[in-house]
Amino acid sequence: MTSPNQHQQSAAKPEPTRALADRLCDWVVTVDHKKLGIMYVAAGIIFFVVAGLEGAAMRAQLAKPGNDLIDPATFNQLFTMHGTTMVFLVGMPILLGMGNYLIPLMVGARDMAFPRLNAFGFWLFIFGAVLLYFSYIGATGLYGTAAAPDVGWFAYAPLTSRTFSRGNATEYWVLGIMVSGFGSITTAINLITTSLCMRCPGMTLMRMPLMVWMMLVVGVLVITALPVLTASQVMLLFDRQLGAHFFDTEAAGSAVLWQHLFWFFGHPEVYILVLPAFGFVSEIIPVFSRKVIFGYPLMVAATVAIGFISLGVWAHHMFAVGLGPELNAFFAASTFLISVPTGIKVFNWMGTMVGGRIRFDSPMLFCTGFVAMFVLGGLTGVMLAVVPFDWQLSDSYFVVAHFHYVLFGGVLLAIFGGIHFWFPKAFGKMLNERLGKATFWFLFIGFNLTFGPMHVMGILGMPRRVYTFPPDRGLDLWNLISSLGVLVQCAGVLCFVWNVILSLRKGKPAGDDPWDAWTLEWATTSPPPEWNFDRIPVATSRRPLWDQKHPEDPDWKYE
Amino acid sequence: MNEVHQHEVPYLRGVPRPTSGPMFAALGLTLLFAGMVTTIAVSVVGVTVFLLGLIVWWRTCLPEESVHQLPAGCEIPLPLGAAASAVAVAGPRHVLPLEVHPYRAGVSGGLIGGVSMAAVACAWGLVEHSSIWLPINLLAGTVSPAVVGASEADLSRLEIAWLMLALMIHLFMSVFVGLLYAVCLPIMPRRPILFGGVITPVFITGIAWSTMGVVNPALEQFISWPWFGASQLAFGMVCGWWVSRSARIPAMASFGLGERMGVERSRGGDR
Amino acid sequence: MLLVTESFFFASFVMAYIYYIGRSASGPQPKDVLELGPVVGNTIALLASSITIIPAVRAVARGSRGAVLAWLGATIALGAYFVVGTGLEWQKLMEEHGLFLGTNLFGTTFYSLIGFHCFHVIVGLILLSGIWLFSGCGLLKPRDGERVELVSWYWHFVDGVWIVVFTTVYLVGR
Repeated sequence: MTSPNQHQQSAAKPEPTRALADRLCDWVVTVDHKKLGIMYVAAGIIFFVVAGLEGAAMRAQLAKPGNDLIDPATFNQLFTMHGTTMVFLVGMPILLGMGNYLIPLMVGARDMAFPRLNAFGFWLFIFGAVLLYFSYIGATGLYGTAAAPDVGWFAYAPLTSRTFSRGNATEYWVLGIMVSGFGSITTAINLITTSLCMRCPGMTLMRMPLMVWMMLVVGVLVITALPVLTASQVMLLFDRQLGAHFFDTEAAGSAVLWQHLFWFFGHPEVYILVLPAFGFVSEIIPVFSRKVIFGYPLMVAATVAIGFISLGVWAHHMFAVGLGPELNAFFAASTFLISVPTGIKVFNWMGTMVGGRIRFDSPMLFCTGFVAMFVLGGLTGVMLAVVPFDWQLSDSYFVVAHFHYVLFGGVLLAIFGGIHFWFPKAFGKMLNERLGKATFWFLFIGFNLTFGPMHVMGILGMPRRVYTFPPDRGLDLWNLISSLGVLVQCAGVLCFVWNVILSLRKGKPAGDDPWDAWTLEWATTSPPPEWNFDRIPVATSRRPLWDQKHPEDPDWKYE
Repeated sequence: MNEVHQHEVPYLRGVPRPTSGPMFAALGLTLLFAGMVTTIAVSVVGVTVFLLGLIVWWRTCLPEESVHQLPAGCEIPLPLGAAASAVAVAGPRHVLPLEVHPYRAGVSGGLIGGVSMAAVACAWGLVEHSSIWLPINLLAGTVSPAVVGASEADLSRLEIAWLMLALMIHLFMSVFVGLLYAVCLPIMPRRPILFGGVITPVFITGIAWSTMGVVNPALEQFISWPWFGASQLAFGMVCGWWVSRSARIPAMASFGLGERMGVERSRGGDR
Repeated sequence: MLLVTESFFFASFVMAYIYYIGRSASGPQPKDVLELGPVVGNTIALLASSITIIPAVRAVARGSRGAVLAWLGATIALGAYFVVGTGLEWQKLMEEHGLFLGTNLFGTTFYSLIGFHCFHVIVGLILLSGIWLFSGCGLLKPRDGERVELVSWYWHFVDGVWIVVFTTVYLVGR
C-alpha cells in the first residue's frame, strides 16, 4: 500500500500553514461537492445531537408517572422540534449530503452537474434550519414569550389556525421548513441531473451502483413531494397572515385537505429517508460478504416500484379520519403492495450474505442491524395497514415505536454504517474499529430498550404526545425501561463522536481502498483530490474496480 | 466533454472557481422570509443581499463559466493491486444459491400442501364443531367484515360467497408460500424438511397466535390452537417434502448473459 | 441542464395542480363576478408570446441581433400586457365586487392560484428582459442559444400552466 500513499501525500498536499479564517473562508465559498457533502453531514450530526437531547428530555419527563420536570407547553414544543429536526434537519441533510459526496465519485464525474446551485441548496438548508431554531428566542408564543413551534411535526390544520396557535411560532415553523425545502429541491435536481448526465463512459444505467439508483429515485420523489408541502405551507401562511380560508372549516374550507396535502408529501418523505439508507446497505453488504449483490436488476426494479407506489399510499396515515371504506381499502391495499418490493430487497440482501465470506467490521454490523430492525419496523407497518388495527392503535405509542424502528433502527443505523464505511474515503483515516463496534452495540441495545417497550405501551393504550401519564395503569415499568434505554443510546453517540475526533487526529491511515471494494469512488485517492479523477474512469461492468483488480476474471463476462 | 478521445487526453483538471454568491443568495432569501415574522426591514435587507448574491453568482458563470485550472501535478495511479489491500480475499466469485428448485415445484408443492392443510382444517371442523364449513367461513372472515358478526350457527352453514372467498384466499396463499419455499429452501442450511416442515409452521403459528385477536377476531373466538398448528404443520411438511424432492436446476443468476437471454442453450433443461 | 428546468416545471406544475384541488374541495361562491371578455384578450396575448419567442430563440442561435431584439421585444410586450391585464381585472374585482383574499373561499383560491401563476410570468419577464438587455449590449453570442432556449421552455411552461388555469377557473369554474 506504500506507493499510492506516497503519491497521495505529494499530490494532495495542503497549503502548509494558513490562518484559520482563511481555511474557514475556503469552506464558505466552496462549490466542491465533497466539501459541501461533508458540511451537510456535519450539520446533520450536530442537529442529530440537538434533536436527540430534545428526545432525551421528553423521555426524562416520562420516566415516572406524574412527573413534572417539564411543563406541558414545553413538552409540546419538544416533540414538535424533535420530530421536525429529525426529519428535515437530520435525515434529509445527512442522506442528501452523502449522496452529494458519493454520487459524482460513483459515476466517475468531476463534480455535480451544477456546483454553484449545490452550494446554494446547502446554504438554504443551513439558514432555514437557523431560522427554525431562531424561534426559540425570536418567536412569540401563547403569552407573548419566546416559544418554539408546538403544533406537532405534521401541524394538523385546525391546530395551526390563528385561533389555536397564537403568536408567530407556527410561521417560523412554516418558513424554516420552506426555506430548507427549497434547498432540498435544488439538491435533488442536482442529484438527478448528475446521475443521468454526468456518468463516465461505459457507465450505463444498468451499471450504476445501486446507491446511485436509489438516490436518483429519491431525487424524483423529492421534486414531486416537496413542492406539495411547500404549496400547503404557503396556503397555511395565507390563512394565518392574510386571512384566507384554505383550512378554515367555518368558511367551508377543509381541515382534511391539509392532511391530504401533508401526507402526500409525508409518505414519500419516509421513502426519501429510507431509500438512501437502502442504497448504503446495498453497497456495504456485498463488499463485506465478498459477493456481488444478489439480483441487481430486481433491486433496481424494486426501487423504482417503491418510488411509484409511495406516491399512492399517503392516506394510510389517515384511516382514523373517516375517509370511507372504499378509500380505506384502496390505501390499505397499496400499502400492502409496497411491502412487496421492500421484501424483495430484504431477501436480496440476505441472498447476498448467504454463502459469502462475511466480515463483521463495524459498517457491516450496522447494516445487519439495519436489516433486522427495518424488518421489525416494516412488519409493524404492515400491521398498521390493517384498517381495524389502525383504528385501535392510531396515535398510540405503538405508532411511535413503529416509525422509530423504521427511521431510527432503519435509517439511522444505515447512516452510521455508511459513515463508518466511507469515512476513510473522505478523510483518509480509518475509524477506530473497537469504538465503532462499541457505538453499534450501545446504539443497538439502547435503541431496542427505548423503543421496544413502546409497542407494549401502545397496545396498553398509552396515547402519543402526552406529557405525563397516571400511575398504576401498567405503564410505569415500560416507561422506565424506555427512558433508561436513552442513557445507553447516549453512550453510543458519545462513543461515535469520540471516535470521529480521535480518528481525525490520529487515525490509522486508510489508503485508497481499505475495504477492497469495487465501485469507482475507491478508484481515486482518499481523500479524493478536488478534481476527483486524473483520468475519466471507464466502467466496464457493475464493478469497475473488480475488473481492474482481476483482469483475468472480469465481471462483464457475467453480466 | 469530449467523449471521443477520453483515453488519451488527461482528465480536464478544471474545477469551478469557488464563489460566495450562492451563500449570500441563500442568506438573502432566508432573510426575505424571516422578514415576514419580524419586521419588513429584514426583508428589505434580505432582498438586497439576495440580489448581491445573484450578481456575484452570475459573474462567475456569465458570460462564461470561470474555471480554476489546477496545476497538472503528478499522475495518481489507480489502486490496482488487490493484493496490496490487507483485507483482500482472493477467490472465485460466488453467486448463491447455485441450484434452485424450479418454480413449478413451488406452485405444485403449494397446491398439494394447501390441500392437505385444508383436509386437516376440515377435519377439525368435523370433529369439534361437526361442520366442515366452519373453518372455511372463518378463513373468509380475514377479509370480509360480515363474517365477524355472524353467529356460530351461521358460520356452520354453507355460504357460497364465503366459500369462494375462502377458496381464493387459500389458493393464493398456498401458491405464494409454495413459491417462497421453492426459493428459500435451497438457501437454508441442510435439512429442508426440518426447516420447511417444522420450524416455519411453528413460527407462523406463533405469529398468528399473537396477532389473531386484531387481524381476525372471529377466528380467534373459535380457533383451537393445536389444530391450527397441526394444519400449518401439514402444509409445511407436504409442501416442503414435495419441493425438496423435485430436481434442482442451476440458478439463472450463475449463467452468463447470453445463456440467460436464451442465445445459448440453457443447461438446466426445462424451466 | 435541460432536466433541471423540466424538473422545476414539474414541481411548479404539481403546485398549481394542488391549488385547484384545493379549489374544488371547497364550497363554490360567487362565480358570476368573473368576466370572460378581458381574460380572453390576456390569454391570446400570452399564447401569442409563446409563439413569438420561437423565432427569437432561432435568431439567437443564428446570431442576428436585430431579429433577437425585435422578437424578444414582442414577447416581452405581450407578456407585460398579460400582467397588466390581470392587474386591471383584480382591481375591478376588488373595487366593484369587494372580493378580497379573505372574503371567502373563492377569493382565497382565486387570488392564490392566479397570483402564483402571475408571479411566474413576472419571473419569466425579468429573465427575458435580462436577455434582451444582454442582447442590446451585444453580449449575447450564438453559443448562448442553449441558455436562451431553456428560458423559452420556461416561458412555454408558464403558458401551458395558464391554459390549465384558464380552463379550470374561467371555463369549468364559471
